[in-house]
Amino acid sequence: MADRLTMPRTAMATVSVRAPSVDIYAPQWRNFVFVAPFLFFFTTLLIFPLLWGMWLSFHKADTFSSGDFVGLGNYVRLFHDKVFLQSVWNTFYFVLLTVPTLALIGLFLALCLNRRTRTAAVLRTLFFSSSVLSVTIVTLIWRIVFIPNVGLLSTIYGWFGATAPAFISDPSLAMIGIAIATVWWCIGLPMMLFLSALQQIPQDVYEAAALDNANRWQTLRSITLPSIKRTFILVIIIQIVLQFQLFGQAWLMTRGGPNNLTKPIVLYIYDTAFRRWDLGMGAAASEVLFILILIAAMAQYLVTRNKADQT
Amino acid sequence: MRMKKILFAAVSAGVMMLASPGFAATELTVQRFFGACDADFGTNTDVTKAVGECGIITSLINKFNADNPDVHVSVSTVEWPGYDQLTAQFASGDAPDIVTIHESALSDYQSKGLLMPLDDLLKSVGVTPEAFTDAARNGATKDGKIYGLPIDSWTMLYHINMDLFKQAGLVNADGTPMLPKSPEELLAQAEQFKQKTGKPYFVQNLANETALYTRNLYTYLFQQDSDFFADPKHVKLNTPEAKKVVEMYKAIFDKGYTTKDLDYGGAINAFLAGDGGVQLNGTWVVGDNNAQSQTKGTALNKGGYAVYPYPQLFGGAHAQYADGHTWAVSQKDRTPEQTAAIGKFLKFFADNDFEWSRTGHLPAYKAIITSDAFKALPHRNTIAAVADLGRPLPSAVQRQFAIQDIVGEEMSAAITGQKDVDAALADMESRVNELLANI
Repeated sequence: MADRLTMPRTAMATVSVRAPSVDIYAPQWRNFVFVAPFLFFFTTLLIFPLLWGMWLSFHKADTFSSGDFVGLGNYVRLFHDKVFLQSVWNTFYFVLLTVPTLALIGLFLALCLNRRTRTAAVLRTLFFSSSVLSVTIVTLIWRIVFIPNVGLLSTIYGWFGATAPAFISDPSLAMIGIAIATVWWCIGLPMMLFLSALQQIPQDVYEAAALDNANRWQTLRSITLPSIKRTFILVIIIQIVLQFQLFGQAWLMTRGGPNNLTKPIVLYIYDTAFRRWDLGMGAAASEVLFILILIAAMAQYLVTRNKADQT
Repeated sequence: MRMKKILFAAVSAGVMMLASPGFAATELTVQRFFGACDADFGTNTDVTKAVGECGIITSLINKFNADNPDVHVSVSTVEWPGYDQLTAQFASGDAPDIVTIHESALSDYQSKGLLMPLDDLLKSVGVTPEAFTDAARNGATKDGKIYGLPIDSWTMLYHINMDLFKQAGLVNADGTPMLPKSPEELLAQAEQFKQKTGKPYFVQNLANETALYTRNLYTYLFQQDSDFFADPKHVKLNTPEAKKVVEMYKAIFDKGYTTKDLDYGGAINAFLAGDGGVQLNGTWVVGDNNAQSQTKGTALNKGGYAVYPYPQLFGGAHAQYADGHTWAVSQKDRTPEQTAAIGKFLKFFADNDFEWSRTGHLPAYKAIITSDAFKALPHRNTIAAVADLGRPLPSAVQRQFAIQDIVGEEMSAAITGQKDVDAALADMESRVNELLANI
């Protein structure tokens, strides 16, 4: 009975006192449910293989069994291997050949095609179309261009009685040949990124420049380029990370030859781990590549951040 | 009554469905190299009409499927030699039932317990190892057991454009091509050839190639009695014998006696177009080249096509590098029906080895290599000698394909002038030994 008497009063009190508002950003364990699917795949497909790779790199392991702990043994072998050191140099050389070229040609194309005409739209599509091809098709096309005697290049040189440069087998040209195919393949993304950046520059800035009688070069140098600086850095970072992972083009066009001059780190890893079954050393090489890409990405990121803070 | 009928029909259908696996064809997965040619031979079951490795193997498998409705073989074709893929398949537990493996690569997989010993299975279908040629039997035997059904023995050959040889004056009185007997004679004949025809003596696929270089080196090391793999775990390649071979091929390259920038396909096309005198290629193109020589208007039809083993250039053993193809069976749990189906497949290939030998490969069976039918095939009188000349690396040498890559890379660097010959041989030896020491 007492309960019956007290209950309405309690209910009245509850109604009259306003409930404290819920902080939706407060940490709640049940929120974990929303990120759990992502975390599951992130952990199983990225974190676990990453750690497993590190573990393998300290073991003598082949494709079918993991053996004894060898400490830094695989890394010592790796840095005594001339082919590995060559492949590290090849990778840097390839990045050096492709990244500035991609950024500059991408920017140039974007500047040329940043207009609302039908021709520009068609050309934008054309330049981007190579990006949708698979690496197999790209290398096939470029092999047909470069192949001696019957290739497109040989045919064109043949019209003038000249011999075409051997882009697939000449030691000094092979990497350049791969870089040409890569630039042709990858030019779409930088161009699109630059185009989107260019289209975000407010038109009134250009109008003000026109009122000040700025010529086209001054406009480009003082307005356009500074406005897309962050995109430029973004393109460089993306391309460095992408081109560090060169594999398909080198494997399909030259098999890493001649004399390992076009063998990038990823191909070295593939060769060591899957063709020679030396999984431990392949894993060690993978860790080196991981650190190199991490350093490159972090360095670029830090440079960008500092410069952005200053402006 | 009607309900009863429906029930009866349903039960009957159910019983049929349950029973049907008993009538279903046993599925076998076969993985092979030798290329894809479904456009020409995808439905052909008349093996006698097929030409070349791809045509004959495709037609043979088609015929097996047609002759054996209780077995269905599904084929996946891999790019030569396909071992990267096969290794990954084994590692992921998804290996094909039957797969083409070179005798030189068998020990890699056998040593890991990935292949099934075939002695009992072959015996059950009436194929005995005594029927194999010595080369095939030795190549397929590891630790005293048969680990692959040998289908051939192959080696590299001198494929000769006789029209250009005639122009170069390199033909004997009996019409046979004049072949060199020493490195000096080889260079002299190559010079004569170049002077008279304006073309290189050799058509070689040197662009980013490793196998050709390596096979050439092994052959001429054998001919100098160099026991470079006396210890299967340690190679000796930085030797005067190896230097002689590399310097000979370097002279051929430097003096323009060979094509230089061609890949494998390019070299075949160049030889067929008459761009050089001798193509260094394997037994597998004899059938195709012979077919070309019988086609009017082709470069090989002009003056004829001849094919010979590598000439004996040094004073040692009469030998040249050889290997063989086998059908190996992956180790896995199978039903008796599946095992029996594999036995049928292997027996079929043993029975049809003559058809396979039409490719140019040497048969793996004594009865076929001595048969009149085989001897009657074109050019077999000149190349049958490789049955005795052929010599593989010792079977205990593992990772022979990886070794081939290293040897070929270093030879290529020395011959094309990217590296000093001594430095290349030193690197070749140390790299191979580093690989072998870490198996």
